[in-house]
Amino acid sequence: MGKKVDLLQGTLEILILKAVSLGALHGYGILLRIQQISGGRLEIPQGSFYIALYRMEHKGLIKGEWGESENNRRAKFYTLTADGRRHLRKETEKWAEMTDVVGSVLRATPEAL
Amino acid sequence: MSWLAVVRSWWKALRHRSQTDSDIEAELQFHIDAHTQHLIESGMSPEDAVRQAKVEFGRVDVQKEKYRAAIGLRPLHEIGADLRYGVRSLYRHPSVSIAGILSLALGIGATSAMFNVIYSTLLHPFPYADADRIVNPSLIDEKQPLVPTWFPLEPAQYDRFVKARSIDSVLGFALRPQQEKGGAFPEDVGIAFVTPNMNEFLGVPAMLGRGMRLSDDGQNVMVLDYKYWQRRFGGDRTVLGRTINLSDTSLTIIGVMPPRFTFTETVGNVDGYIPWSTARTPALLPWIKLKRGVTPQAADADFKPYLDRFRQETPMHFPKKFHVDVQPIAAPYMHRTGRTLALLFASVVLLLLIGCANCSVLLLARGEARQQELSIRSAIGAGRFRLMRQLLIESFSIALAGATLGTALSYWLAKLPLTLMPGTFPQEAAITVNWPVLGFSISLALLTGILFGLAPAFRFSRPDVSHMLQGRSQTISATGGRSLNLLIAGQIALTFVLLGVAGAAVAGFMRITSMKLGYDPNNVGFISVPLKPDPSKNQQAYASYIARLRDTVAAVPGVVSVGVMSSGIPPSQPFGGFGRPSSFQLLGRQSELQLNTLVQLVSPEYFATLKIPLLRGRLWSQAENQRGDFVAVVNETFAQRYLDGHDVIGQQVRTDAVKNDGRPASIPSPQSAEWRQIVGVVADYRNDGLERPPAPAIFVPYSTFMWNSTQFFIRTSAAPEEMLRPIRNAVHIFNPDQRISGNKINTLEGALSVQTIWIQQHMFSVLFTSFGCLALFLSLFGIGSTIFFATARRRNELGIRMALGARRGHIVWTVSRTTLATIAAGVATGLVLDLYLRASLKHWMPGNNSSVWIVVPVTATLMVAAFIACLVPAIRAACADPTETLRNE
Repeated sequence: MGKKVDLLQGTLEILILKAVSLGALHGYGILLRIQQISGGRLEIPQGSFYIALYRMEHKGLIKGEWGESENNRRAKFYTLTADGRRHLRKETEKWAEMTDVVGSVLRATPEAL
Repeated sequence: MSWLAVVRSWWKALRHRSQTDSDIEAELQFHIDAHTQHLIESGMSPEDAVRQAKVEFGRVDVQKEKYRAAIGLRPLHEIGADLRYGVRSLYRHPSVSIAGILSLALGIGATSAMFNVIYSTLLHPFPYADADRIVNPSLIDEKQPLVPTWFPLEPAQYDRFVKARSIDSVLGFALRPQQEKGGAFPEDVGIAFVTPNMNEFLGVPAMLGRGMRLSDDGQNVMVLDYKYWQRRFGGDRTVLGRTINLSDTSLTIIGVMPPRFTFTETVGNVDGYIPWSTARTPALLPWIKLKRGVTPQAADADFKPYLDRFRQETPMHFPKKFHVDVQPIAAPYMHRTGRTLALLFASVVLLLLIGCANCSVLLLARGEARQQELSIRSAIGAGRFRLMRQLLIESFSIALAGATLGTALSYWLAKLPLTLMPGTFPQEAAITVNWPVLGFSISLALLTGILFGLAPAFRFSRPDVSHMLQGRSQTISATGGRSLNLLIAGQIALTFVLLGVAGAAVAGFMRITSMKLGYDPNNVGFISVPLKPDPSKNQQAYASYIARLRDTVAAVPGVVSVGVMSSGIPPSQPFGGFGRPSSFQLLGRQSELQLNTLVQLVSPEYFATLKIPLLRGRLWSQAENQRGDFVAVVNETFAQRYLDGHDVIGQQVRTDAVKNDGRPASIPSPQSAEWRQIVGVVADYRNDGLERPPAPAIFVPYSTFMWNSTQFFIRTSAAPEEMLRPIRNAVHIFNPDQRISGNKINTLEGALSVQTIWIQQHMFSVLFTSFGCLALFLSLFGIGSTIFFATARRRNELGIRMALGARRGHIVWTVSRTTLATIAAGVATGLVLDLYLRASLKHWMPGNNSSVWIVVPVTATLMVAAFIACLVPAIRAACADPTETLRNE
């Protein structure tokens, strides 16, 4: 397990969208999947996680439905809506562009100028 | 994000509130459990795992709160809680809440009512389609600019006029009363001959049966007026299809108009509408609906060439020199009642302000007692904004409750001016529940809520926590005391103004009722008699018919005397051009003055009947009366204004007012406009309205100028109304075909009480007195409750003072001296305001003047009442037993 990284402002939503896009998950499952994919390097504050989840459901990016969990308990499963899929695509592009720009700035050397 | 999803989510959260709450709880619990399970699997002991999971997650109820914040519903939830809390706190102090609600209800009720009156009588008085585009095309005679006249159009002219560019459509009508025989007496039926587009033009369908159609043109059909239907047919619904015989024509009844439909009221009341034909009436008066966007001024210019042409064709329908003055049909009412209503509106706004001030005073006074509660809320973390919102929501609850009550009240109140001022508003105006008025009431409620809630909200949203939590009551704090006193002083000042206006209104009304009229209206009735046009009769025949009819009425037992007067009803009621100033000439005299006089057409008995004394000279003889020419009598004002210092008797005078104008209905004497000798001077009487001094007047024999109607003034020994039947009997015996207009007898006293100024002053005095009393009541209540709350809060202090030997008088003085000073300041301010307003008030309320006799009683009443309101709770506090008070601590 590598060093833990603090979540950048505003990235929690894309992470949740991405996690949900891979298949319906309940809240705890989303949390686990993000940690799993990131190799446990992301620290997600649990309090703000649910707030983000509710806000996204409120905005109609994800949709929650009650179902059975793996150990036969009632749990709320989230899926991506059409709006959410669009949002994820847009945000992914924006993110890629952003990292690209910031990366190229940071990589700049005196010779290249 | 989609708005639909947002709204759906809000709806779900609000509608299924407990469901949402339990869902969140279940989801979060699931999370904690799953996490616990996870921790146990990774090797933690179950107890530690549960603890660890809970610590990591935080409190579940905090999460719920965060959920609401996340979806933006938090303020709503808080406001809901504030509302519940506010209503509960209103309930806890019922006396304060009821007083506040009532004072607002009165203010809002009165203001909404007045707005409703203005809306229904001035802004939207007529139930017609596009009423704002319907105009009266009146003419202003340049010779007599005070008298707007209408012009009749002949059929060919009518057809041409309709095509004018600014005209959308035209409704033509002519009032021609008809006779219905078959009863005990010939009945007078008011008939309007109308173009068959009447119902379409006005956009009012018949209430029963059908309205007029274009195919009814010239047919023998009749649409009944609602009142006539009620009176003549007892509201019988089977009346449709029946025939009615009017002036030897048999007419089929096809419909009944609704009660609000009386479009001819400006010219006379009508019992039925009959389609027009050339045989029925040769000419029609037009009512015009302008095209959209055409201003009256543009219409004036557009009509001018048409009317100039028409004048050449039918010169007798038009004055020699005139200009067109197109007026919206509501204009005369605007002119007549606009100011009155504006003044009343201003006064109800004052009343509302007093009500608001009263609410503020109550809330401030009560708030002092609530300081502790607010301090505790503030101490446990309520921000200033939260406290302000809480306090404002409380005042809004009061405002809304007051507005609801007030709006209900206003529909009853709004009818008051209409009943107090009969005849001055359009008959068709009706007070109804309508959206603009409801909207006005609601905005008023919100506005007042802010207005009276702000002062307490500012004052109490910053409680002094350390001080308050010590639990010690103290003397009234400086800031609260200041705004409280300001409000009370303001209330007193406004009340003073309202009482002052009420005093002036009452004084004005008393002056009118006790005014010297110059004639005796007691037991004088008058009837109007239509004269049948008969081309075979000459002026002499008409004159002698009137004389014989007069003799017949005079011979009825119980009749004291009868005079003929065809040119008006005292104290003023202009009949067309008569009764309004006309120009005249005096032989051999050139005057710088504009010579204007009233010209009255009377018989010599008229003066005796009204008890108007002859001052000099003589009245004309019966022979002169029959002839009509060469004689005149003038009144005192005429003699003084135009012939001062000269011998009045024997002067020669002439006027064009009685000149042969060529109209078919006019029956002038041969030399009516020639020189006549002044043979006598009579005393002045009120002939130009009650608000103005008598105008100069020339009296000439009625036979000088006759037309299709005249009037008899009848002095009776009993009440004139009771003489109707014997008089009708006598008239019937004299001529079975002779009708009496409206089949009724009116009285001069009745004519006095429908005088605009009489009605206006009557209404002013009634309404302003009630406004003044309400304002006084509200202010006194405010003062009383302030002292009451103040003494309640200072009970300990007062108890200690008394225990230490303070006398009762001293206690009373201690608790009331600030308020007493405030009252005195308020009265002084009110006095200044009142004097300042007097000048402008004189302009708005004609016939009122300021006097010490109004200011002194008003000041005294207000002072005494306010001091009593102040002293009663103070004395009550001073009478409390100090040992009792202190034991309660």
